[in-house]
Amino acid sequence: MENPGEGTRPGGSFAVSCENVSFSYPGSERPALSEVSFGLRPGEYVGVVGPNGGGKSTLVRLLNGLLRPDSGHIRVSDRDPATEPFEVRKRLGVLFQNPDNGLVAPFVEDDVAFGLENLGVARHEMQGRVARAIRAVGLEGYERREPDTLSGGEKQRVALAGILATEPEILVLDEPTSMLDTAGRREVLRYLKALRPEKTVLHVTHHLEELTGADRILVLNGGDLIADETPERFLSDADLLRENRLVLPVVPRLALELGLPPTRLSTPEELAEAILARAESGTRT
Amino acid sequence: MTLELKDVSHVYAPGTPFEVEALRGVSLVVEPGEVLGIVGGTGSGKSTLVKHMNLLLTPTIGEVLVDGVDARSLKKSELRRRVGLVFQFPESALFAPTVEEDVAFAPRQLGLHEDEARERVRESLRVLGAEELATRAPFTLSGGEKRRVAIAGVLAMKPEVLILDEPTAGLDPATRQDLLALILGLREAGISVVLVSHDLDEVAEVADRVSALHEGRVRAAGTPAEVFYREPAQAPATVQVVSLLKGSRPEIGAPVRFKETLETLRALRGV
Repeated sequence: MENPGEGTRPGGSFAVSCENVSFSYPGSERPALSEVSFGLRPGEYVGVVGPNGGGKSTLVRLLNGLLRPDSGHIRVSDRDPATEPFEVRKRLGVLFQNPDNGLVAPFVEDDVAFGLENLGVARHEMQGRVARAIRAVGLEGYERREPDTLSGGEKQRVALAGILATEPEILVLDEPTSMLDTAGRREVLRYLKALRPEKTVLHVTHHLEELTGADRILVLNGGDLIADETPERFLSDADLLRENRLVLPVVPRLALELGLPPTRLSTPEELAEAILARAESGTRT
Repeated sequence: MTLELKDVSHVYAPGTPFEVEALRGVSLVVEPGEVLGIVGGTGSGKSTLVKHMNLLLTPTIGEVLVDGVDARSLKKSELRRRVGLVFQFPESALFAPTVEEDVAFAPRQLGLHEDEARERVRESLRVLGAEELATRAPFTLSGGEKRRVAIAGVLAMKPEVLILDEPTAGLDPATRQDLLALILGLREAGISVVLVSHDLDEVAEVADRVSALHEGRVRAAGTPAEVFYREPAQAPATVQVVSLLKGSRPEIGAPVRFKETLETLRALRGV
């Protein structure tokens, strides 16, 4: 697309906005991000994809104030993460890829409460928030389990509950399923989908099938924002996919090869149904 | 080389309150020049299993055989040269100032002549498509580049069996596909590859045989079709799609790889 970010210029109505943001790591010749501009409206679910080294992780670190931009402006819930990182982190929670690195407490419920203790939330309010967060990720009955005894998918749901308990407006998901097996991935995705439309979500991933239902997909490559597209347009643009080292997942790729719409068919069940429906109607495309 | 695990069990921290039986009576064979896929959920014992293949872990019960000989009777250094193991996230172990120094580290430990060591470094980097990285500092590389360099370091030992533990985790889709092509290339060159992965779609594309682990036991073993069609709910996407169609189309076969599956679906009447 010709003008990435057009129509999403930063302004008062954005939950997150980046305007001409550039950043280089010390000693590196090439910027990790250059002149990146985009905005997330409240309640939007936006994906971020792109090759290794494209700038995805740098963007996450800039948004929660771990890094400061060299130039440009970032606003998260009308605050600057570089100058008010702690205020920003109350409003923007980050779910990282490896749940093992984040779980610290002896029991699930303590782990979910951990972030709240740091925010100084009153005890009686804490109990309600922890119970709600545990319910939101479907882990009722797990309160007194030890995190070590859980599967990867369950651990990642505990980590998600810990973030939800702090009641952020915005969630950044940084490759939240990359350490999980197929069953764990499906399980976590089910609860991530349920975040809509209450939360504003930025979901970084290598797995395009996780983004078929997103409002928009941003593509970062070599530090540049290459595209800001709907999943329908993005997933059917073979050149854009190839140039950004992306490969369609198996199900949409089969659909495309069979002449069926790839973006509406992301699960094996959907594809099988579409194949049978076409066979029965006797039409050939 | 034929590498065989015979009835291997492994207990971590035996006799303590933390005792865990990670493997229970596991048997499998890695035949010369084949790709063996090892699949299973998180905590099923995959990583514990492959550490037995070069005796980084020794079986609590059972034995490891190299061409029919007890692996414990071989020199450890020799065994580990012949059975190369690439750990999960191997890039965390890169340490030398340049890529070529890093890849040269292991061959130099073998006491090779400097020219021979350099030749091996060049060859390994070439196989991984990483020649242009030779003089770069590892910390300036992207995740996918580091991963390739780490694999080159093990390949420079000229192993007969190469074990890759989750080699594509965290890599972008195109880099993942490059690595799968590399695995098939190594097989062509006669090297056996053991691919440990939780991504069933990628195992489906390259494996000649599959062993599926569950709670430390081999739950199923055989060709990819034999293993994956037994439990289509926990199978690659290709197998799931075909299994769903079998109810109304019993004539459909049992394809596993993407290309075969596409051909099978295209051949269905009326589709």
